[in-house]
Amino acid sequence: MSIPKLEFPPFHLPPEAEALRVEVRAFLKDIVPKIRTEDRFASWNTASPEFSRALGRKGWIGITWPKQYGGSERSFLDRYVVTEELLGNGAPAGAHWVADRQSGPLLLRFGSEEQRQAILPRITAGECFFSIGMSEPDSGSDLASVRTRAEPVPGGFRVNGTKVWTSGAHRNHYCITLVRTSGQHGDRHKGLSQLLVDLKTPGVTIRPIINLAGRHDWNEVTFTDAFIPESCLIGNEGDGWLQVTSELAFERSGPERFMQNFYVLRELVRVLGRQPAARAAAILGRLIARLWTLRQMSVAVAGMMQGGKSPAIEAALVKDLGTIYQQDLPEIARVIAESDATTEDDLADFLDIAQYATMMAPSYTIQGGTTQVLRGIVARGLGLR
Amino acid sequence: MDTETRDMLLETAGRFFTERCDRAVVNSVEKGAWPADLWKEIEEMGLPLIAVPEDKGGVGGTLADMLALLRLAGAHAVPVPLAETALANLLIAAAGGEATAGPATVTLGSVKITGGRVTGKIDRVPFAPVCERFVVVADKTLAVISKGSVKIEAKPTHAGEPCGTVTFDNAAAEFSGTSAVGAGRALELAALMRAMQMAGAADKILATAVEYSKQRVQFGKPISTFQAIQHMLAELASCVAATIASAEAASRDADEGGLAGGGSFSIAAAKSQCSDFAHRISAIAHQSMGAMGFTHEHILHHYTRRLWVWRRDFGSESFWGEKIGAAYAKAGPDKLWEGLSSSKYAA
Repeated sequence: MSIPKLEFPPFHLPPEAEALRVEVRAFLKDIVPKIRTEDRFASWNTASPEFSRALGRKGWIGITWPKQYGGSERSFLDRYVVTEELLGNGAPAGAHWVADRQSGPLLLRFGSEEQRQAILPRITAGECFFSIGMSEPDSGSDLASVRTRAEPVPGGFRVNGTKVWTSGAHRNHYCITLVRTSGQHGDRHKGLSQLLVDLKTPGVTIRPIINLAGRHDWNEVTFTDAFIPESCLIGNEGDGWLQVTSELAFERSGPERFMQNFYVLRELVRVLGRQPAARAAAILGRLIARLWTLRQMSVAVAGMMQGGKSPAIEAALVKDLGTIYQQDLPEIARVIAESDATTEDDLADFLDIAQYATMMAPSYTIQGGTTQVLRGIVARGLGLR
Repeated sequence: MDTETRDMLLETAGRFFTERCDRAVVNSVEKGAWPADLWKEIEEMGLPLIAVPEDKGGVGGTLADMLALLRLAGAHAVPVPLAETALANLLIAAAGGEATAGPATVTLGSVKITGGRVTGKIDRVPFAPVCERFVVVADKTLAVISKGSVKIEAKPTHAGEPCGTVTFDNAAAEFSGTSAVGAGRALELAALMRAMQMAGAADKILATAVEYSKQRVQFGKPISTFQAIQHMLAELASCVAATIASAEAASRDADEGGLAGGGSFSIAAAKSQCSDFAHRISAIAHQSMGAMGFTHEHILHHYTRRLWVWRRDFGSESFWGEKIGAAYAKAGPDKLWEGLSSSKYAA
């Protein structure tokens, strides 16, 4: 009896990555307190163009990219360290996050030389931000059913349709948009393409979609006879599905899938004080142990990627475990804080934080692939489908 | 030992366990039999001496080699104290003693060693009733006591393995010596050993449940084709992968740190994590296998019952969680990330 192995071989981040960590940490300890954002607890989706520019000046955006495009030609593991330091230190890294994580790498891999030269140096400078144009009102988990249509016209495409849940479209510069360029709605994976859409294009309308916590992160992006020049086609016409799935691999494997609400754990340590009762300490310790495990798995995935493998199943598995951890965290923390906080004032403050975290929690297991989509991928990895 | 030698040893041991630790043997141990032949063969293969240096008559493997073997043993529910004896022998060698034949176990807890005599009472000592020797560590002193000098109250574990309370009443040690591996470290190594056995058992549970889902036909098709079952087994795979990953990461850290110390936080986190996931792993596996997996006839319980016992051995998730939580609370919120990212107790 044998089933496909899902192993996460222990992996050490190399000394040069650890050396970079020291540098990044020192920089963040200095700059993060000076940056003002609307969020008390910043995370990878808190945008601060000011912060992103400062990070860009250090050469830490697009760190793996070729120097000719403004990159630093450092390893994927160096990028991993920068990413987790941003999360661990509560840096407002949201403005450039998507561009650094997936849009830039996508352009590097599939984009034209002209696109790379025009865009990538601006991303690495922390001056050019991206949105993800995948979901639509009728296409969520079933991404291949997108209806947004790009009709070939002389010199480019005429685009009509609607994208939703488009994070940051109201402040970003571009949106890499998955559209149907040929064939019919039922053709699924065939006939899809990706377009590099300037969000200021005439015919592109951006309206806010407010989430349950009252935040404006999302938008509805409507295309009404918007003309997108041919030079904005990314890769080949019809290769959109292949490209978008490679983009999803970047989207799923990072530490932001278990460290998005790291502040809850940090504030829990604060509210429990320096000498918590045994039971509270045990619960805190178990939460820390779980996060440590997730990190070991995530670092192992980074090691596989650096080694040239494409651990899509392993990445899906870590995102599943990680997002469920993030969802459990505010609940477990709230209950233990209620019984074991050191002072009433601290408790009131912590419960505000936990309440906010609870309101954000449903999004974790939806964005970037729902729990159910991820489990489908893992089940395939187990040979069940 | 190099990777090739280790792989060869693991392959040989794996084949041996498959042939010799079948359902009947595991069940007979539960009924109170001692599989003397199985133990003899395990000794002939040198497995209990895997981490004893060659110049002391051992195989000369590292801590990591031993732990890899024990993960494998966990995946076969090997119903003899291979893990306990391997650890006991490693500890004896580290204190300058001679490893001898016969099953041994580690008795860790509140004991006193004075002038070569041991006093104390320790509960839940794995395999106590069938062991020839008991290894005790207090502070920096290790003592070996033979079974004739101790009192044992046998009480099998809920997994059906021999176990019991051991009382040392001014018992004379057949060997005692100063050890670089103190009492705290010995407990860490024992916890790590269990974590690796749990990793092996968890792996076997996943394989068993996945295989069963492909064989079991309901409504005219294998239940593996139902999305509800697929999602359950995917969650099971995640819990199993996390169990294995934590135990393997701790093994690496402990091995790199050396016998006397190193990897302490990783071990605590791994044992906490493995113990934590034992419930979910067992629950999903049993649910996916229905009544069949709940029978004594099926092998699933050989592994799920061991997980339920092992999660308490040498510190449960509460025990290790408290250690971690207390250290991180003491260090304060600003040290949290620094500690986590360096796999160390925050300070």
